[in-house]
Amino acid sequence: MSFQHWRLARRARTAAVVLSVIAGSSAIAAPTTHTILIEGMKFSPPTLEVKRGDSIVWVNKDMFPHDVTEQQGAFRSGAIPAQGSWKFVATKRGQYSYECSLHPVMKATLVVK
Amino acid sequence: MKRMPKKLIATAVAGLLAAVGGMAVAQPAPNDAQIAGIVVAANSVDVDAGKLAEAVASGKEVKAFAHQMVVDHTGVNQQAGALVKKLNIAPEESDVSKSLRKGGDDNIAKLKTLSGKAFDKAYVDQEVTYHQAVLDALDKTLIANAKNAELKDLLVKVRPAFVAHLEHAKHIQASLK
Repeated sequence: MSFQHWRLARRARTAAVVLSVIAGSSAIAAPTTHTILIEGMKFSPPTLEVKRGDSIVWVNKDMFPHDVTEQQGAFRSGAIPAQGSWKFVATKRGQYSYECSLHPVMKATLVVK
Repeated sequence: MKRMPKKLIATAVAGLLAAVGGMAVAQPAPNDAQIAGIVVAANSVDVDAGKLAEAVASGKEVKAFAHQMVVDHTGVNQQAGALVKKLNIAPEESDVSKSLRKGGDDNIAKLKTLSGKAFDKAYVDQEVTYHQAVLDALDKTLIANAKNAELKDLLVKVRPAFVAHLEHAKHIQASLK
């Protein structure tokens, strides 16, 4: 291997290491999107733990509207039509109990760490 | 007044009880077209009662529940309508579906004679009995007899809605006592 080739190879290795460090750290810090299915009159999963900054998308797979209503008023989707969805970004830590106000037997919990 | 709900309940669910009991009326197992007809009739009956209660009920919770019944059962019927169209099944009337409609009409005729709290109570009592009867029909007759997999799947998917409506109606019923 010539000196020039060696330098190029070393640079490539350095770049690869730097990139993987960036990728690794961003994987830890980057907000993720979670999905909660509304199906068969249930929120699934019934309890979801997320990190602050994460997004949660509720997808309504039932044949009629549902909503997502936090019991203390922290968040409220309004009616989500059949096959529709609603996205919420969790910005405050806490444990949130929510229900479908249209069908109060549907209850679930969102935990923001 | 006390005896009225019992009478109207008896009429309104006679069809479903016949569907569940089977032997009482010695009815053959319904075919897919008849099951589709029963689903449409069952939902329509509750939509009609809901529309009346939405307008007449005096309690806020009863009104909201009635509105929800209209929305949800209309949604189920839309889905059922789309499926039977896709499957090329024409919903067929049967003694059960006819009896359901007759029971629904009788229920509405009775409800129209009531107002205020008596109306709310009669409507909610009927909703509890109706949803329980539909659940029984789903569990004992309709799901088991559905031949087409997609029709069976629709019935299975609809079931939790009847369970939730029943619980909701029972909760309101308890608060009206």
